[in-house]
Amino acid sequence: MRGLAMRGRLNAGLVAGGALVAVVVLAALVSFVWTPYDPTLVDAAAKLHEPGGGHLLGADKFGRDTLSQLMVGARTTLYVGIVAVGIAALLGTPLGVLAGMTPRGWLSELVMRVNDLVFAFPALLLAVMLGAVYGAGTLTAMIAIGVATVPAFARVARAATLQVMVTDYVLAARAAGRRGGAVALRHVLPNISSVLIVQASVSFAIAILAEAALSFLGFGTRPPTPSWGRMLQESQELLFSTPRLALWPGLAVALAVLGFNLLGDGLRDFLDPKLRRIRADG
Amino acid sequence: MRRIGIWIAVGGLLLGTAACGGGSGGGPGTGGTPKAASLSVGAVAEPANLDFTSTEGAAIPQALLVNVYEGLVKLDQNGRIVPLLAEKWDVSGDRRTYTFTLRPGVKFSSGAPFTADDVVFSLDRVRSDWKLKIKAQLDVVDKVEKKDDTTAVVTLKRPSNGFLYAMATRLGAMFSRTGVADLPNKPVGTGPYVLGEWRRGDSLRLDANPSYWGTKPALSSVTLKYFKDATAMNNALLTGGIDVISSVQAPESLQQFADPGRFQVIEGTTNGEVVLSMNNGRPPFDDKSVRQAVRHAIDHKALLDTAWAGRGQLIGSMTPPTDPWYEDRTGDYPYDPAKAKELLGGKTYTVKMRIPNLPYAVASAQVVKSQLAQVGITADIEPLEFPARWLDQVFSKGDYDLSIINHVEPRDMGIFADKSYYFRYDNPEFGKLLAAADEGTEQEQTDALKQAAKLLSDDAAADWLFLFPNLIVAKKGVTGLPQNAIAESFDFTALAKQ
Repeated sequence: MRGLAMRGRLNAGLVAGGALVAVVVLAALVSFVWTPYDPTLVDAAAKLHEPGGGHLLGADKFGRDTLSQLMVGARTTLYVGIVAVGIAALLGTPLGVLAGMTPRGWLSELVMRVNDLVFAFPALLLAVMLGAVYGAGTLTAMIAIGVATVPAFARVARAATLQVMVTDYVLAARAAGRRGGAVALRHVLPNISSVLIVQASVSFAIAILAEAALSFLGFGTRPPTPSWGRMLQESQELLFSTPRLALWPGLAVALAVLGFNLLGDGLRDFLDPKLRRIRADG
Repeated sequence: MRRIGIWIAVGGLLLGTAACGGGSGGGPGTGGTPKAASLSVGAVAEPANLDFTSTEGAAIPQALLVNVYEGLVKLDQNGRIVPLLAEKWDVSGDRRTYTFTLRPGVKFSSGAPFTADDVVFSLDRVRSDWKLKIKAQLDVVDKVEKKDDTTAVVTLKRPSNGFLYAMATRLGAMFSRTGVADLPNKPVGTGPYVLGEWRRGDSLRLDANPSYWGTKPALSSVTLKYFKDATAMNNALLTGGIDVISSVQAPESLQQFADPGRFQVIEGTTNGEVVLSMNNGRPPFDDKSVRQAVRHAIDHKALLDTAWAGRGQLIGSMTPPTDPWYEDRTGDYPYDPAKAKELLGGKTYTVKMRIPNLPYAVASAQVVKSQLAQVGITADIEPLEFPARWLDQVFSKGDYDLSIINHVEPRDMGIFADKSYYFRYDNPEFGKLLAAADEGTEQEQTDALKQAAKLLSDDAAADWLFLFPNLIVAKKGVTGLPQNAIAESFDFTALAKQ
């Protein structure tokens, strides 16, 4: 009975997170084939159109449909998340595994100290700097967020690798003369993958927030490509007269971030072998 | 982990509402209720330094001209030239000699008397030391001489209608022979205000000049507070951190100040033509018909209504309605997408729209892009940091196809006569019209400049999106605010607070 209750509670996060993420993904996918209006079409006649009457969530000061903008904005959000987290995982994981497999070597020391250095540097500052030098845009934002997230992956991968390296099967594999690369691919990576998946989900949430913040500050997605952060920025001057313009994108960012965090939490509990054992014992 | 997750989510929601509180620039030092008889004015651009003889930028004369530095003449609210340090002036029959009779008893803030020697010194210095492009406006001056202490004589190489007008701009500012050692930090002028304190990155305080020759200012000091963010400036006025917003950057937000018991909104005109610049020097906009297509493709009324809340005025060429030779040219290229497509001959183009990251430019660019897309021109918007990157990339190097900028200088149609200017417009006919206008009689000037404005419009040398409005919001009880911003300075002389 306790096991069942536990499983139910554990799944709640997973299900809720999964559902929220699914809504964002679905909105993004649908936006490729259909949106109620062209999201960048300026229509003076629909300026600040109230919700309803063709514009389900209303229109902004340019007469652009809010729902259409939110849908295409979801695409931007996911795009940034996937690329940024991809960069972080692809760079951070090998570095972390390397450092974890050679814990006392100078290489490990070097990797982790450089890691600390990058970690100490705020992602937003990096993005603003890159934007100033190479021109602000979605690409520079993605790269900056990705690079700034590398240390998180490296640290997590290193810690998990250290644990795996002292297990009997790894010791046996090494005793049998397996090379480092083979051990990493066959034994380490599969065993640390659950931790990395959870890290990816949480990093995704942070990347969404960072993109929104950058677009809000004018260093992210270029106009007129819809982006939740820029929608918030553009809603500023109308905050007192038309607060819904800030409400919808704010809600979208909040729910997407919440979704990815809940998903990360749920996945952790779901994938954690210890919890699974408790469940089996219970 | 779960708790962190929720806090991040809350952070996301806060980002939505942070819009109202985010980045408020009202520091603790100047916040709260200002001292009696002093005034705080919010402004957008901070000067790079205080020397407008060597540094470009509208912010310096905005703060210092007429307030700290005075010229022999100045522009009044209607654009007329009126006496200031000169009591009167006589023009010779051949219109080449100007004899200025100076006001006696005027002193610089350093205590030195103002005499004809200073007039000679200041005008000679424009030629020898000034570094701005606009100093060419005084190239027409042949020599400046002192007749006696209160009489200065300026001789021109040829008759010029632009000369006296240029004397009302920063070019005519009077400097003390002993007061130019540290212009970037220590301005010395004859004006009603002197430099109080300059806190870089924050504010510039001007104090009343106790030894001013004219009507003493009603205020003990005026502080210009600089804001990068329009919402922060609005909030500062709402919460009492400042008394005046000198130029509203978020016109949709004016509703916040609708309570006449607390605020007054002043709307007037400026010299600022918001220009959609087209690079005449390279394809596709070296082709006149493509430029004309752009002009037909843009619905200016819709643009003004959406991008700038309908505030401002549609113009159609490079002259504001306050200039005597203004003609309404908005009918030259009526909104007609079908005509635009016809002019493009079925071709489509992809162009770079590189704009400054200023509120009016970013808003207008999105409308322009949407409207150009309807006729087959894809404009990729790239906001550049203003001023540094925009000035470098677009203004200096001319690396752009389309751009949007507010040209604020008064009577600046002449920039189109310079083919190295970033428009890269090259029509010798235009230069001839301007030269004829400068030399001719008043009537000839008016006629020639009307033709010049028409020529620019016909050639579609650029497109004129709208005339930037002068939008000022102030607390109730602040008086003496300029209705129109048609000179280079924000004139504090009449400011008072009840």
